[in-house]
Amino acid sequence: MNAIALENAGRVYRVTTGFVRRHAKEIQAVDGLSFEVARGELFGMLGPNGAGKTTTIKMLTTLLRPTSGRVVVAGFDVARNADRIRPLIGFAFGGERGLYYRLNGRDNLRYFAELYRLEPSRINPRVEELLDLVSLRDRADERVEGYSRGMKQRLHLARMLLHDPNILFLDEPTIGLDPVGARELRETIRELHRRGKTILLTTHYMFEADELCDRIVVIGKGRLLASGTPRELKALVRDLTVVEIEVFGATPALIDQVRALDFVDSVAVEQRELRQLLRVQTPIADEALPRLLASLGGLAVGRASVREATLEDAYVRLVGKTE
Amino acid sequence: MIHALRVLRAAALLELRYLAVNRFMLFCVFVQPFFVAITTMFMLRRGTVFDPTYVVIGATLTGMWSLLLFNSNWAIGGERWQGTLELTVGAPTPVIVVIAGKLIGTTLLSFVSMVVCYAVGAWLFGYSITIADPVTFVPSLLFMLVGLWATAMLIAPLGILWRWVGQILNVFEYPIYMLAGFLFPILMLPTWSNPASWILPPFWGATAVHLSSSGGADVGALLGIWIVLLLSSAAAVLLARPFFGLILRRAIADGTLALT
Repeated sequence: MNAIALENAGRVYRVTTGFVRRHAKEIQAVDGLSFEVARGELFGMLGPNGAGKTTTIKMLTTLLRPTSGRVVVAGFDVARNADRIRPLIGFAFGGERGLYYRLNGRDNLRYFAELYRLEPSRINPRVEELLDLVSLRDRADERVEGYSRGMKQRLHLARMLLHDPNILFLDEPTIGLDPVGARELRETIRELHRRGKTILLTTHYMFEADELCDRIVVIGKGRLLASGTPRELKALVRDLTVVEIEVFGATPALIDQVRALDFVDSVAVEQRELRQLLRVQTPIADEALPRLLASLGGLAVGRASVREATLEDAYVRLVGKTE
Repeated sequence: MIHALRVLRAAALLELRYLAVNRFMLFCVFVQPFFVAITTMFMLRRGTVFDPTYVVIGATLTGMWSLLLFNSNWAIGGERWQGTLELTVGAPTPVIVVIAGKLIGTTLLSFVSMVVCYAVGAWLFGYSITIADPVTFVPSLLFMLVGLWATAMLIAPLGILWRWVGQILNVFEYPIYMLAGFLFPILMLPTWSNPASWILPPFWGATAVHLSSSGGADVGALLGIWIVLLLSSAAAVLLARPFFGLILRRAIADGTLALT
C-alpha cells in the first residue's frame, strides 16, 4: 500500500474583491493532481511560487479540504478520516512562525508533546533525544524569540518528530537558511529517510531535490507537469545544451522573437538589476551561440557561455511551458 | 481523560506565561479593578447602607470579567496570528480542550484582581473586609470561577465565526458589569432587563459570592443558586462545542487556518 495517494485532487479557493460591490472569484490552486508516494520513499515536489505545492501539502496534512478528487494518507481519506491521520503524520512548514516565542525551545517541545499525547514518562527523554538530533540542546533553555531562523527551523523539525510519525511532510524546510544550516538540515532529512520514514518534501532548490529525493514531481499552475527519478527528469534535457547570454534592455517582444527561433527549445529570463540573463535551451550546442547573438541585433551583450543542461534546466523547461 | 487533564494543565500554564508579560491583560487584572474599587468606594461609602465587602467583591468581578472577555475573544485568533493554530489543529488533541486550558489559565490569573481590590478596601480605605459565611463562600467562589470560565468558552469561538460579533463583544465589558449585578443588585435595573441577567452564568456567580460574603441568605437559597449557576455554565459549554466544530470545518473548507 502507498503511504500517500492523490487521485485527481483539486482545490478551488473562493475569494472576494471590492469594498462596496463585492465580487466573488474562484482560484484553482490545484487542478486534477495525481501521484503516489510509496512507503519509505523520499519524494520531492517542485514548482514555482503559486504552483500549488503548499496547498497540496495542506490537503495532505488534513488542514485543507480538497474540493475535488481524493487524497489518501496512510490508507485514510483526508476528507473523512482526518482524526485517524493526524497521529500518524508529522509536518513542518517553512518560515519562522508556528512556535511559542515566549517559551524556550524545550518547553515548546514539551507543550506539543502533550498535544500529541505522548506518555508522560516518555516526554522528557524524547524531548532531549530530539534536541540532540537537531543540535539544539545547548540553546534549549533560551526563549525561541532569540533563535536564528535556522534554529527555529530545526525546532520545527524536532516538534514534527515528537510522536515518531512514519509519514513526514516538509514544506520548503531549508528556505532562508544559510548554506551550513541548510546542509545540516538536509543531513537530518537523509538520516530520517535512512530510518525508514516516508518523506514528502517541497523545495525550490533543484540541487536539493537531486541530492535527496528518490522521485520527484514537478507541478505548475496546480497541474502535474512531470514525474520520475531525478535521472529521468534530467533525461528530458539530455539532448539539450544551455546557452547563457547576459544582455542589457531586452524587450519582451525581442525575447518572444528569440523564443520563436526554430533551433530554440525554451528561454528563461532572469532579471539582474539592469541586466538580464537569458537561458536558452537548444539542441544544436555550440552552433547556437553565434546565431543567437545575431538574432539579438544591436542589443548590448555581456558575458555569454555554453554548458550542459542540469536538473534545474529540466525544471525550467517544464515550468516555462506553463507560463 | 488523564490525557485531556494534562493538556488542560499544559495549555493553562502556557497561557499564564503569556499573560504574565501582556501589559493590556495585566492592566485588566491590576489597574482597572483598582480604579473601579476606589471609584465605587468613594461613590457608596457616604450612603446609608454601605458594605465594603460587597464593593471589594464587585470590583474583583469587574477585573475578572474584563480579562476573560478580552482574552477569550482573542484565544483562537491569537493562535492563528502566531501561526500555531494549524499545528494545534493538526495535532490529535481537540482544539476545544486546548482553548479550555488556555481559559483556565486566564481564569486563574484573573483571580489576582481580588488581592488588588482587597488591598484597596482594607489598606487604602481601612475597612474591615470580612466574609459573613466562609463555609459557603468557598464553593460560591469556586462555582463563580466555573461560571466565568464557561462564559469565556462560549465567547471564544463567536468572534472567529463572525468578525462583527467579535468587534461587538469587545464593548460587552460594562453591559455585563450591570446585567450580572457585579457592583449593584439587578433590582436597580428595569424589570424587562432581568431575563437577560438570568441567562448569564456570571449573574448567578456574582449573586452567590455576594450572598456568601455579605450574608443574609440561607443555605437552601444558595444551593438553588449554585445549581442554576452550574447548569447555566454547563449549557454555555455545551452550546460552545458545536461552534468550535463549525470553526474548524469552515476554516478547513475555506483555507483560513493560517494567515498566509
